[in-house]
Amino acid sequence: MDRALKTRLERRFAEQLTGPVRQRHDETEIRIGPGGVTQVITALHDEPDLRFEFLADLAGVDTGEVMQVVYHLWSTTTSDWLRVIADGLSRDDPRVPSVTFMWKGAEWMEREAYDMFGITFEGNRDLRRIYLPPDYQSFPLRKDFFLPDDAARSPGGGVRPMERTHTPRNAPTTATVRRVGA
Amino acid sequence: MALTKDPDRLGTGPDDATGIGSDIEGQPALPAVRPSDALTTPIVVPNSLWQAADPTAYDGGRPTDITHLAEFEASGAGRRDDARWSGVLEVIPTKADYVLDLIRMNSLWPLLSGLACCAIEMMSTATSKNDMDRWGMFPFRASPRQADVLIVAGTLTTKMAGPLVRLWEQMPEPKWCVAMGDCTCSGGRYKRSYSTVEGIDRVMPVDVYVPGCPPRPEGLIYGMMKLQQLVKDRRGHWPERAIGPTVPEQV
Amino acid sequence: MTATSARPGTRSNDRAESFAGSPDDPRVQLDRDLGVFEPVPPYPPRTEREAEFYTLRDGEMFINMGPQHPSTHGVLRVVLKLDGEKVVDLDPVLGYLHRGVEKLCENADYHQAICYLDPLEYVSSLFCEWPGVMAFEKLLDVQVPRRAEYIRVLSAELNRVASHALFLGWMALDLGGLTPILWSFIERDEIVDMLASLTGQRMLFNYFRIGGVNGDLNHEFLSRLGDWMSRATEQIEAGNTLLNENEIFVRRMRGLGQIDSKTALRMAMSGPNLRATGVPFDVRRAHPYSVYPELDFDIPTRDEGDCLARYLLRMDEIKQSLRIIDQCLHQMPDGPIMAKLPRLLRPRPGRAYAGIEGPRGQYAAYVISDGTDQPFRMRIHDPSFIHLQAVGVMMPGHLVADTMAVMASLDPIMGGVDK
Repeated sequence: MDRALKTRLERRFAEQLTGPVRQRHDETEIRIGPGGVTQVITALHDEPDLRFEFLADLAGVDTGEVMQVVYHLWSTTTSDWLRVIADGLSRDDPRVPSVTFMWKGAEWMEREAYDMFGITFEGNRDLRRIYLPPDYQSFPLRKDFFLPDDAARSPGGGVRPMERTHTPRNAPTTATVRRVGA
Repeated sequence: MALTKDPDRLGTGPDDATGIGSDIEGQPALPAVRPSDALTTPIVVPNSLWQAADPTAYDGGRPTDITHLAEFEASGAGRRDDARWSGVLEVIPTKADYVLDLIRMNSLWPLLSGLACCAIEMMSTATSKNDMDRWGMFPFRASPRQADVLIVAGTLTTKMAGPLVRLWEQMPEPKWCVAMGDCTCSGGRYKRSYSTVEGIDRVMPVDVYVPGCPPRPEGLIYGMMKLQQLVKDRRGHWPERAIGPTVPEQV
Repeated sequence: MTATSARPGTRSNDRAESFAGSPDDPRVQLDRDLGVFEPVPPYPPRTEREAEFYTLRDGEMFINMGPQHPSTHGVLRVVLKLDGEKVVDLDPVLGYLHRGVEKLCENADYHQAICYLDPLEYVSSLFCEWPGVMAFEKLLDVQVPRRAEYIRVLSAELNRVASHALFLGWMALDLGGLTPILWSFIERDEIVDMLASLTGQRMLFNYFRIGGVNGDLNHEFLSRLGDWMSRATEQIEAGNTLLNENEIFVRRMRGLGQIDSKTALRMAMSGPNLRATGVPFDVRRAHPYSVYPELDFDIPTRDEGDCLARYLLRMDEIKQSLRIIDQCLHQMPDGPIMAKLPRLLRPRPGRAYAGIEGPRGQYAAYVISDGTDQPFRMRIHDPSFIHLQAVGVMMPGHLVADTMAVMASLDPIMGGVDK
């Protein structure tokens, strides 16, 4: 838990942060809006006292109310993992600037987030589905996708009529989408 | 056949019911007393001939040019207990069929088609410590045109189902299929997933199921030996395979 | 005869249309009739990169290295754009093993989620369980007993040795050598039987639990381990010498798939692939976890960044792992192997990230908990997924036959790539 990091971040990104800098165990977390991603990531990468040059993870999150894109970064200047949450993406048309200008390796991670959630990364040169067939209609990790949805239309999902795909016993209905506050 | 509860006989002798495979014709079913409820009601698949999913495959199902084979099938002489392939050709003496079966069963060449974790155990079965080469199965052919057995090792996903069925259809007959691992038998731990095929017998006919996650190499070897036995017992009528396990109604 | 067909990027002067009606008509069902199975996607290009890749210049062609191919990495499909024998560009197509693990974890308990994590990188299962378990422990604020930590490190380092031994075998197999794979599997079988006596399973161990490990060290495990350790160094050396002193192997691998450290960092690579380019980043030292601060080991690093460097680096790492295993055995403390936890686990609502150093790179898990007994989001970060992007950077200019060699040197496991 690096207190100095917290003060540095609060001072540097005062106007981009949309919430307090939280710290727990060995992680520091900042929240920004989708528009601030490019500026914040560039600053985190380039500034000599921050130097977050290693992109550890890029994930999409669907909280039930909004979508988020979460970046995990590591730097030689601090002992904490830094988590940057680009918060507040709408669930209907989530858009966020791509970080492929900084890390080309983020291309596939963003493709995966697009494939699973439908988040459009503006600036990614190759935003197509990576895991699922290119004609798949749904985005599986969204909270309103329930398991037998597209599976029933897939080629493996039952050649003969007696075979049905397995519906989980406690499959939720549309009304009971799980939502989480933060 | 002895069904004694004799503690000295551990059920491993040639007479014991537990030692006889129930997939051999003529053997009575293993007596299994189980309370039946919704969960244990088996899905019984009739022992019917397999049909390709695509109606235009295999020449679109048009009747064969080999007319005497059609008559032979119609007469039902091929289903007699002592019938052999040479009943058709009538040039090769009957004993050669036994040799043909031996040849086929002792050099089953698998296709290199490892999909996931079970592939590692398949490779482990093929390498020095558990050597599949003892039964002639060492050359893992890369091309399906040269392979006899398709050991599907690993989870089959819906995206891969197309290529896998294409591989199966490219294999020349006679060919057999072994479903290795829980994922290929029934979907395994990924049964609830949106992108896996729940058991490869939804898309292709299976001869031997080897359960396990992953099955030990000894388990796969047991499955391959069962396949060898099956090759011998079918006496050349290899297309007559059922989809799903051949479980009698009462069990 | 350069007839073009309606699909962009293809030529049809080799189609059987020109044979129709002639005595050479092969009368087979063409792939075209069974359904398109060409490398080119059946729709117009949707993205910039697709348009750039799927347009052929003069003299180029596509070759599909399909999901089933003799190389043993698993189901990866690579569409190669070739100019003669040289690879101009390549487009890996993933997803043939996508099992939807992240979605399945959301519908499972915390304990059940651990067993979904095992088959991700199936040759190094313990490393797949570890970040998940660490993230859950952070959410539960639970302290793992020291003996359990030592056992975790011990079993994980054994798994690392097994994984690197398999890498050695596959690397040689993809270059055509058929002996090292057999030796690797002997090595791997010994280690895995050892781990089976500890965890109960040969492969997908399911051994780590939230708060500790499942079973304590037993006599059989320790006797097998002692026996193996006394022979390990020579066995590994034998495998190494077979390859290192092989001129064909060395000359093929030297200079192949070169990548420099700046590009490697831009590609977000980690693990041995990054260390082979000169960046000494190892999560065990950069961001220590578990009991690694108490153990004494080096981080091998090399500068060249080619296939040979990656291979030699992994062999050095095996030696370091043996050192760690030795120290673990000597320093093993007594105590419980599992923290006391309630049976029904309801972590605090919040987020936790845990990253560890696996044999392929940084494995990580990002878990969001909403206070119930099921994780709200379970994100798994896998290094093989990232490294496969680097193939597109490394390959252009090399020959087709080296594609598999470059891919083998990055050591991807498709279970992790496709999740």
